[in-house]
Amino acid sequence: MQLFEKIFNYQLLSRIEEQGAFMITSQERTWLKTMLQHPSAHEAFSPVTLDKLQTLLRQDATFDVSTALLEKAGSKDKHVYHPHLRTLRRLILRQTGVQLTYKIKDGRIYHEEAGYAYKLEYSMVKREWYLLWYNLRRRTLMHTRLQQIVDVAESSITPTQIEHIQSEIESRHAANQRQATILVLRRYNRELSRILYAFSCFEKDINYDEAQDSYTIQLTFLQDESEYILSKLRFLGMRVKVIESEHFKQRMYESATRALARYDETTTSEANPTS
Amino acid sequence: MAKESFDKEIQLLRLFMLTSGAYNRQQLADRLGLSVHSIDKTLRRLKDIVGTIHPERSITEKEFTETLRYRYYDTTSPILLFLFRAKSLKESESQRISTLVAAMNERAYTAMELLEICGNTLPSDAALPDEKTIRADVKYLEQVGVIRKESGPRPYRYRIDNDLVQQLTSDELIDLYDFVDIMANTQIPSVQGYLLREGLLKFIQRHEAIPAFTEPFLYKYHYPSRILDEAHLFTLLQAIHARRKVRFTYFSPKSPQTYTSQNTNPLYERDLEGKQEQTLPLAIIYDHQYGRYYLIGYSSRYGIRKFRMEGITQLVEDEPVEEALFQAKRSELEHKIQHSWLVDTGHPVNIRIRFFTPEPPIPNFIHERVLLQGQWGMVSNTTNESFIFEITVNGTLEIKPWIRSFGSSCEVLEPRSLREEMMAEWKEIRDYYAAVRENI
Repeated sequence: MQLFEKIFNYQLLSRIEEQGAFMITSQERTWLKTMLQHPSAHEAFSPVTLDKLQTLLRQDATFDVSTALLEKAGSKDKHVYHPHLRTLRRLILRQTGVQLTYKIKDGRIYHEEAGYAYKLEYSMVKREWYLLWYNLRRRTLMHTRLQQIVDVAESSITPTQIEHIQSEIESRHAANQRQATILVLRRYNRELSRILYAFSCFEKDINYDEAQDSYTIQLTFLQDESEYILSKLRFLGMRVKVIESEHFKQRMYESATRALARYDETTTSEANPTS
Repeated sequence: MAKESFDKEIQLLRLFMLTSGAYNRQQLADRLGLSVHSIDKTLRRLKDIVGTIHPERSITEKEFTETLRYRYYDTTSPILLFLFRAKSLKESESQRISTLVAAMNERAYTAMELLEICGNTLPSDAALPDEKTIRADVKYLEQVGVIRKESGPRPYRYRIDNDLVQQLTSDELIDLYDFVDIMANTQIPSVQGYLLREGLLKFIQRHEAIPAFTEPFLYKYHYPSRILDEAHLFTLLQAIHARRKVRFTYFSPKSPQTYTSQNTNPLYERDLEGKQEQTLPLAIIYDHQYGRYYLIGYSSRYGIRKFRMEGITQLVEDEPVEEALFQAKRSELEHKIQHSWLVDTGHPVNIRIRFFTPEPPIPNFIHERVLLQGQWGMVSNTTNESFIFEITVNGTLEIKPWIRSFGSSCEVLEPRSLREEMMAEWKEIRDYYAAVRENI
């Protein structure tokens, strides 16, 4: 099997599409059949559809990658699918309003809050789904774990309201945008590839100063992503240094100082485990 | 014609993705071991591909490099997928095959009937194909699974094999699209899934029963360049399956150069920065921490070695080995990586860490994160203030960044050497920001 097949060629593909045909290769069917073996397939389809797909793919092979391809340092999958996913997805498609009953962190429950759902977001780090929605009564952008949603119902919303909400979402995103500049310490330039990989999941611009042989990374992110970026900065440790963003500098200084305090305080107690 | 290799494109795209506009053309050329002319040519070709697939985005070269930057809220499909559409095809061949596929999309035809259709529909200035060419095309299309032979006597009839979408209701199509999108984004391997997703999306957008189809899903934090590593994945999986060695030119990620052109004239041959390697592939490891793949191979000279997929170029299959040798080395590897946080096969060390629970009302996200990411480590001695995490790993190097990412929410208890290293690193980091203290 070859991924670089002439059947995938871009000109051929665009010609076939122009003529209104849909083609699917055995490589794609094999991939699909392999994925249908994943337990989440039972949540993704009704039993009838799943059965239909399996029948349609009965002639195809599956990839046998389980022994040759291993995964390391991944988070445990909390879920790949969530029972609310199909319902919410259709509400987003129909551009209707939603009525949500959901739990908050301290265990309290909010009942039938009216809103507008616009995206479903899967966190590759936390391995679970979130709903991005606008709460009409509170006029806030919400980020709610699907796990915390008790009940979902459809409600009505006018096109004017949707338009208003969408511009609201845009302006709040713009208002929440932050920037920070990170310097790669030159003595770690040999690890540049690893460092850039660690930042590759963020929006960024990189500057290379040839005379100094030094790299700076300018990150653009939303305010609520700050904690995750800080954890990445601590992850990389001495390799990087924040040069622009007072908030990040302050937080890194605090982290280092507090971490050192842990060690100073406990050195004695660890040396004498009975105390 | 030499076998088309995409190493140059892969290395260039990866460099673009990772360095987001840091290098000018000359600097790119130096790092890739290519001429500026060759960089320009490759960029032009890649830009053409993107322009053809997304005609709605007619783009200049500057905008092309802009496209490659990672934009979370705009990115619904992986930007680098177009690489897998780069296999070259002659204009006449692309015209002919698309005509054949479009015809068989309507109903089943014999090869002779298809020849006639080509005669009637291909532009008059195009060279008309002969029967042998059409039979070869039909054979190819059948081989890649796009068409299927109908049952019945000779001459055989062929038709497009797309029952998978034709027999689904519009509601089922939405479920299928969602499943493909979610699995391609959250599982590996993913390239075939992304290709299928792209096709399905266009099919659904043309579907009358599903007006205003939207893509509702976002995936946060993805490593966009990981799909480039899949370019070599299947060649390696096949070699593992067939118990065959492979040969390649390897550029260690620590070397400043990541590719070099293959010079055919030995007089001009420069010293290659890359090293010629031969190894027996035993396993492939995907590292979620950085979104990268590793090849683990064995050779009698070096024993078990790890290669980063991004450094592998000019990969070819080589001679087979005895099953017994493969099995012996494979079980040796399994034993060695049993305690690898990533791929370290060094000596196992027992690590003990105390994690501190945040003060109420902040929820105990530390405990949750340790359970989620701590692999096979064990949690014990849980109190309201803290808990102990214990794990045996090969060496401390690979787990250290993870521990450090918790900042002051943890304290390494054992081994002493790691504890001391942590203290030294935090001191150094505190010194980086010494100016902050003066500002307080």
